[in-house]
Formats: sequence, structure tokens, C-alpha cells
Amino acid sequence: MSNIVLSTSKLCKTFSSGGIQQHVLKNLDIEIYDGDFTVIMGSSGAGKSTLLYALSGMDKPTLGTIRFLDTELTKLSNDKLAVFRRLNCGFIFQQMFLLDNMSILDNILVSGLLVSKDRKAVSARAKELLTQVGLDESIWRKFPAQLSGGEAQRAAIVRALINEPKIVFADEPTGSLNSTAGNTALDVLTEVNNKGQNIIMVTHDLKSARRGKRILYMRDGVIHGVCELGRYVSGDRARHDKLRSFLLEMGW
Amino acid sequence: MATELGTISFGPSSLRWGGSVNKIFLLSLANIRKSKGSAVSISIMFLISAMLLNIGLLIFVNFGSFFTKTTNELNTSNVYYLMSSSLYNDQVEAYINNNENVLNTQKEDSFWVSAQTKYNDNVRAGFFLLNDANKPRNMSKWKFIGAHLPTDEMSIYLPYLYQLDGGYKLNDEFEMILKEERFTFTIKGFIEDAYFSSAETGLLGLYLPHETYQKVTSELSDTNRATLIFANLKKVNKEVETGIKNLTQAEDLSSSSDFTNALFSLDLSLVKLSRIMMASIVSVMVIAFSAIISAVCLFAVRFRIGNSIEDDTTKIGALKAIGYTSGQIILSVVIQFISIAFVGSIIGILLSYLTTPALSDVFAQQSGLKWVQGFDLAISCISLFIILLIVTNVAAIAARRISKLNPIVALRGGITTHSFRKNHIPLSTAKGSLSIVLAIKSMLQNIKQSIMIGVIITAVTFASTFAVVMFYNTAIDNTAFAETPGLEISDIMTILKADTDPRQFIDNIRKMDDVRKAQFIDEAKVDIDNNSVSVYIMDDYSTKETNSVYEGRYPLHSNEIVIAGHFADMIDKTIGDRVTVKVGDTEDNYLITGLSQGANMGGMNASITRDGLLKLSPGFKQQTLQIYLNEGTNTGEYVKTIERLYDAQLLVTIDMDQQMQIGMGAYISIVSKIGVAILIVTIAVVILILYFVISSSVIRRKRELGIYKAIGFTTPQLMHQLSLSFLPPILLGVVIGSIIGITQTNAIMSVAQRSMGIMKASYIITPVYIALFGVCIVIISYLTSMLITSPIRKISAYAQVTE
Repeated sequence: MSNIVLSTSKLCKTFSSGGIQQHVLKNLDIEIYDGDFTVIMGSSGAGKSTLLYALSGMDKPTLGTIRFLDTELTKLSNDKLAVFRRLNCGFIFQQMFLLDNMSILDNILVSGLLVSKDRKAVSARAKELLTQVGLDESIWRKFPAQLSGGEAQRAAIVRALINEPKIVFADEPTGSLNSTAGNTALDVLTEVNNKGQNIIMVTHDLKSARRGKRILYMRDGVIHGVCELGRYVSGDRARHDKLRSFLLEMGW
Repeated sequence: MATELGTISFGPSSLRWGGSVNKIFLLSLANIRKSKGSAVSISIMFLISAMLLNIGLLIFVNFGSFFTKTTNELNTSNVYYLMSSSLYNDQVEAYINNNENVLNTQKEDSFWVSAQTKYNDNVRAGFFLLNDANKPRNMSKWKFIGAHLPTDEMSIYLPYLYQLDGGYKLNDEFEMILKEERFTFTIKGFIEDAYFSSAETGLLGLYLPHETYQKVTSELSDTNRATLIFANLKKVNKEVETGIKNLTQAEDLSSSSDFTNALFSLDLSLVKLSRIMMASIVSVMVIAFSAIISAVCLFAVRFRIGNSIEDDTTKIGALKAIGYTSGQIILSVVIQFISIAFVGSIIGILLSYLTTPALSDVFAQQSGLKWVQGFDLAISCISLFIILLIVTNVAAIAARRISKLNPIVALRGGITTHSFRKNHIPLSTAKGSLSIVLAIKSMLQNIKQSIMIGVIITAVTFASTFAVVMFYNTAIDNTAFAETPGLEISDIMTILKADTDPRQFIDNIRKMDDVRKAQFIDEAKVDIDNNSVSVYIMDDYSTKETNSVYEGRYPLHSNEIVIAGHFADMIDKTIGDRVTVKVGDTEDNYLITGLSQGANMGGMNASITRDGLLKLSPGFKQQTLQIYLNEGTNTGEYVKTIERLYDAQLLVTIDMDQQMQIGMGAYISIVSKIGVAILIVTIAVVILILYFVISSSVIRRKRELGIYKAIGFTTPQLMHQLSLSFLPPILLGVVIGSIIGITQTNAIMSVAQRSMGIMKASYIITPVYIALFGVCIVIISYLTSMLITSPIRKISAYAQVTE
């Protein structure tokens, strides 16, 4: 069995509004293994994104612990969590969240140069990754607003990968993309995972979920079921059926 | 149809004029509530501006009229003649009474003395006029300031100046040291009158209850006996004074060997000029500084309007869509800023009245008069009107953009307003730390904002540089400040008795240890082109330490003269022209070789050689000796030594170092206080403007900062980065402002002090001090920016990406 990269113990998250408490995550014990492609699914309001952002250190849980290798994230200050994110995490959001006032290349470099001072090396890697995801040089100098959704999402993926993070967190990465653009984005994530990087992805989309090795199904703040799919192979019908029946069983 | 806009809803009824006006007001109010922080900071800036403007106008308009009111209240005559009683005879009395130019007079017997008194911790030497307080006066009356006490033996009433600045209070002992007598009084009251309330205009008036007066004057010699004549003239001129001089052969007080042959005369306009001069300069400085702050406020208003149009484009689109006209929306913006300016200005104007007592005390140090300024509705309204008028115009012009916004484009969020055209400093090629590069990128992307900050900092740095120069020249090294009015800076001044041989005496002095130099610089009254002028007389002007000639050169020959620039303007003469100089009945023509500056006689002064004066006044004898000591010599001790050695030959010996400090005290106090006030206001404005710009920047860039945090930037990194992005325009503004201040301060002061006869100010400009202050502004700006950007800490990456 692979090493545990990320784990939670009795993880709880409660939101309070107008005196009403909403328990979004309830005593979650999760283990994420090295080399995993974990997909988190569930109905709306199940706590998927809350779990994703808690695991990434972007949000703090109300109770419980999160451990990344030997570090207990729940004990870190916000600034230390920021440093943790820059060194170990990459993020892909549904809305991309690229910086509007910077070119695509700069959007990637701003993340890369935060970790490495070697401007040349970072720049070369950014260009290589951009080319890999199909964004040629004519795109690099453009601003996010001048790109299509697919192009912007691929740029966002490159930004997430520039520092070769241990874990890539993806929140509905294909949510705002058309089918072709979505497939391209998923191909990139699969390839990255195949190279050994961990992916934790939240999705509603069956096609996206199929890329995962392990599916965690959430309902009402708890893991309702787990489905082990194994390594993704394109056109594997049995894998598709297994996921389908799992989701049916979960009441999806 | 009803559209929600902030907290205001707009329905069809809004389109009716009455309803829409109401809604416009509510919309303005909602906008103010939405951006409370910037509303407060703009309001505070208007507060400062209105406060300064109102103070400036109050001084400018009211201080002069206050003096006139005081002179009216005291029925002050428009001229007085003070002469030795030995000169006053029936012939003089008849001349005055029968002179057609004299309307009415009042004669009074008094005593004048040269004495030393304690003033704070110093000894002040000067001329005092001792008056019988119980003698009734119909004109040029005096009045008590504050309470006065019942008199006893040796009581005295002192000028108000002694209470305000001299360190005295009621019932204190007051000692007067004359050459041969020493009197100790008990202070029973403080008074003011128009002519004798300040030493600036010759004599200080002391009032003694009748019994004390009798007792003191019985111990004084007849040489101190004086006749004081207050007179109202049909036309104020020197005719009567000249007539008296011709009859009595009297000399000026400053050049007479003792009081027995002296005449001193002063007219009210000259006194007024002297009393209100500093207040006028201060008011001009304060109004000018207020103008700078107002300009800063207007920049801020323009910036804020530009930002809110960008931020609220959709809302503006919604308003237009439901039928509001551009004019109505612009009106709501204008009303918003008028309201902010109105609140700030009203508070500022009210606060200005709290400062007037302090200013009154400061001015009283020079004028000796207690200025009481109550609420002045007219001036307050003018201040308010000026500020609101400017704000209305600037806001209307800045908000004009609203009329160009197409409703559809606006409803879509104004796509045209957010277009980045250039990726400044690509990260792939940029050198330097990431924070600095990102800061510069940010600065270039917000170039309009950067220019605005640069201009504002330039303006306030210039103002503060000016203040630093003034402060340095008053509080640290006041040599130039003392020299600017044209004074010769010596260590000791002695006035020789009429029978002392000046050549012999100067030779003796020059032989003394620690005497670096000794030279005569005398002063006499002459007529130049029919104007009474004070003329300096020297053997050789090349040995003068203070060069007052700003154009041309000092006279070398007996037919040459230098006249004050102010006087030259008055008589429309310049270098190369000739003037007629007259002493008594003798006159001659002199060639103007230079123009000088100097406040003496309100700029009515000139310089000629001793030979030049001897042509007109063959009996002229040098009497005023300036003595310059080696550095480090104790002047006070030296004065005692000279007095001990040459007492019989000397009329008076004055410690000039000490007198200079005392004499300059009032000016130094006023200017240094204004300098400090300007520095404080400058820092306050820098902080306010940074708060205003940065806080709105943090709010506007919330999403961007959230993304930065999400990808791993820490809060301190972002605070540092944002603060750094404001530094280049601040730095540039500081440099440009400092350069303008360094190069233009003397030019500005020359213009401001022109009416004082100072044509070319030469204040010491210390680039090191200015640079240090500039560095302070930059450091304070950075630290303030770090403080203001601290709300970045509260921006949650999670909240931004999950919104």
C-alpha cells in the first residue's frame, strides 16, 4: 500500500449564520494515498468543496485535524498555510481565477517565481507546460479576458502545475467548459497523475469522475461510500459501469 | 418596475421631479454610507482645508480692521511727536497750534529713559516712556487688558506683551535698571495702547499711578523729561515734524547723543504696518497652504468619483434603464461630495475659531495687542462658499463621464472600463525581487492613481520643504533670518557720547583682545526726493558683514548711494538714476549704484558713505560702533568689560547677540510655530491621502488579493507588495517637491516679503534637512501604507474563490 499523504481525523466544519448552525462536515476520517486521483462527489450542499478547501489549508476546520505527511495543518497560522500551499498545492477552480491584469504567462510565473528564484528555469517550464496543454506562443502574451474558457482553464491548470505540487486540488475544473475543452483539461490531469502527482477533484460530472482512481461519495457532511476504480484507461467500459452502479447505489 | 440599488429602490414614482430629487438625495446618502472610510478621509481633508482657509481669511481681513477698531476705540491720534522738554517752548507750541495741517492736539508731560528690564530669563534693553497713569487723555488713550489690582507704593502698569511673552503676572516685581538708578515696581495691571504697546515701533509705554510717577520722576534728571504731543493732521506727512526740527534743531532719537536734543515722531499708518505685517504674511502663508490642501482634496474627489463610476457601472446602467437622466445621476454624485465637503468644512470652520486665541497670543508677541476674534459669519460663509463652489465644479466635471455611459454597456458591467492594454514589465524578463516587480506592475497598471499620488505628494512636500526652511532659519540657525531684514550682525553695539572722539575710541577697541573687527555704522534721517528716509552711513561698505544689496553694489564714492528696492519702486528710480538727498537746507545729487533690501522704516532706507553725508551735514560725527568678537567670546562679559573701561565715553552699550535673540524672538516664535504646524498638517495629509487611496484599493482588489493568497502569497507579502506599489510616485513626488522647495522658497519669500522691503530673501536652504524630511515622508508613507493594508489579513482566499 502507498504512503498516506493527507489524512483527516474527526474533521468537522460548522457554519453559523443568524444563530443557526449548519454542520457541513461531520467527524470525517479520510486518508489520501500517494499517487492517488481522488474524486469527491455528492449532491449539492453535501460538503464537497468545503472538504476540498479544508484539505488544501485554504479554509480552517471547526474541529479535528488535518495532517499532510508529518505536518499538522490545523496547527499552522494563515501565513504558514499560505507557504504550505505555495510549496505543496496547486489549485484549479471552476472560474479559473486568473489575475485579470496579467498576461497568461505572467499568471503562471507569478506562482512559479513565488517558489523558485530561477527566473529562466521557471519561465522555460511554464512555456513547456503551456505548449503541452496546447496553448501556443500567441496565447502567452494575452490577458485572461481575451481567452476562451477552455484556453483559460488550461492556463489555470498550468499555473497549478508550475511548482510541481505534491497535490493538485481541482474544484469542478470542467464545470464551465464545453465537452472538448473539458476533455483536454481532464487529459492533462490524468497525465499529471500518471506521472505521480496526487489529484483531489470535486466534480458533479460523471465523465470527469471516471478519471479518478478512487471515488468518495459525500452526503450530509459524511463519506457515504467509497468506490475504488483503479488506474484510468480510456474506453474501459467496465470501469464506467462500476462507477455508474456505485453512484446509483449512492442515490446520485 | 422597481430596481434595487444599494439600499434605495427606484420605482416609476422616482421619475417625477419631486420624487426623483428626494431619491437623488437618498442615493447620495447611500453612496456615502457605502464608502464611509473614504467619505470620512475626504471630509477630514476638507476640514483641514476649510480650517486653514478660514484662519487665513480671518487674519487677513480682521487683524487689520481689529487694529483700526482698537485705535478708534482708544481715539488714537494719527501722529505723535515726542521730544525733550528742553526743546519744547512757546515757539514750538505756537507753531503746532497755528499749523493749518494740525486739526487738534493733546500735550502731555512724561519721561523717557533708556533702561534694562528682565524679560523672561533675559535682559532687554530699550527706550521706555514713563507716563502718569492718572492723567486724563482724550486721545491716544490706553486700556487695561484683564483684571487690574489696587495700587500701592511703587505700582506699575505694563504693556500686555510683558504678561503674554515676558513671563510676568500681576503682583510680580518688575525691575528697571537705568544708568544710575534702579527701580523696583509691583505690577498691578497690564495695558494696551496703539503707539507704545510694542518695542517694534521705538518706545514701550509704562504707566505709573500718580504717586509712583511723582516718586520715580523725582529721581530722574531733567534730561529724561519729555513732552508728548498727540496730533490729528489733515494730511499725514512730515511737514510738522520737519517744522519742529527746524525750530529746535532736534536730532532723531537714534542718532542723538542723549535725550536732551532728541525728537521722535511716528504716524499711525507706520505703526499699523508694523503691527499687522507679520499677521499679513502669516495669513498669506496659511491661505496658500489651504489652497494646496484644497487642491489635494479635489484630486481625491476626482479620484473617488472615477473609481465609483467604474465600481458602480452596473448600477448606473440600471438607473439609466429605468429612466433616470445622466444629469440626475451626475447631480446625485455632486450632492454626495458637496455633502462630504459641507460637513468637513463646517467642522473645520468651527475648529478654526478654537485656534484664534492661540494665534492672538502669537501675534500679540509682535504687536503687543490682544486680538479677540469672535465668530465671523460673513468670513465663515465666504470660506464655505469657496470650498463648496470648487467641489461642485470638480465633482460635476469628474462625473461627466456618466453621461457617456451607454445603459446597455453599463448594465453589462461596463466592459469598456476594464481593458488592460499592456502587460507592463513581463515577469519572464523582469529583474529584481518578485514583490518589487509586482509592485511596479501594479503601479503602472494604475498609472492615473500613481500620477495623482505623485502630484499630491509633490504639493505637500513642497509645502513642507518651505516649512522646513522656515523652521531651520528660525529655530536652528537664524542668521539669515536676522540678516534678511538688512540688519548688520555684530556682537556688541556701543553708542558714543557726543564728546567722545570716535577715532581714538575705535582704535582703543580694535586693540582689545578678542575683538575681531570694529566699525561705525550710523543711521540718520534724510530726505530723498522729498521722502523721509533712514540712511546708513559707513566709511567702507566692503567691511560690512551683512550684504543687503541684492542688485548692483554698495557706494564707493561720496556721490553714490544705494536705496532700498521697495523705496526705488516707490519713486520709480533704479540703478544709474540720480536722486536728490537733503539734510536741512543742504541738498546734493547722488548716483544710485545699487538696490538694497531691509525692513527698516518699512523699506524706506538707503546707504551712503561717510564722505557722502559730510557733504550735506559737515557736523556729522560717527557715534554708533559695531564690535565683532572672536568666536567663543562671552559677549555679556565683554559688554561689562567695555562699560568698565570706557563708561565715561559711552552713552549705551548693547549686547547684540542677546538683543538679536530677544528682538527676533517674536518673529522666530511665529514662523517656527507655523513651520511646525505646516509639517504636522503635511504628515496628516499624506496619511489621509494614503488611507483614502489604499483602503479603496484594497477593497477594489479584494478578488485579486484572494487569488494571490490562494496560490500561496502570505499577508505580509501582499501588504509589502501593495505598499511598495505606492512608493515610486511618493518618492518621485518627494524629490520633485523638495527640488521645487529648495529652488523656489527664497523666490516665494521674496514676493511675500516685498512689502516689508525684503526684495531678495536669502534664507539658508539646507538640502540635508530637506532630504531628511523627504526620507521621513517616504518612511512614514511606507509604514502608513503597511498599516492601512493590514485589512488584507481579513481577506480570505477561500471566501474569494467560493463566492
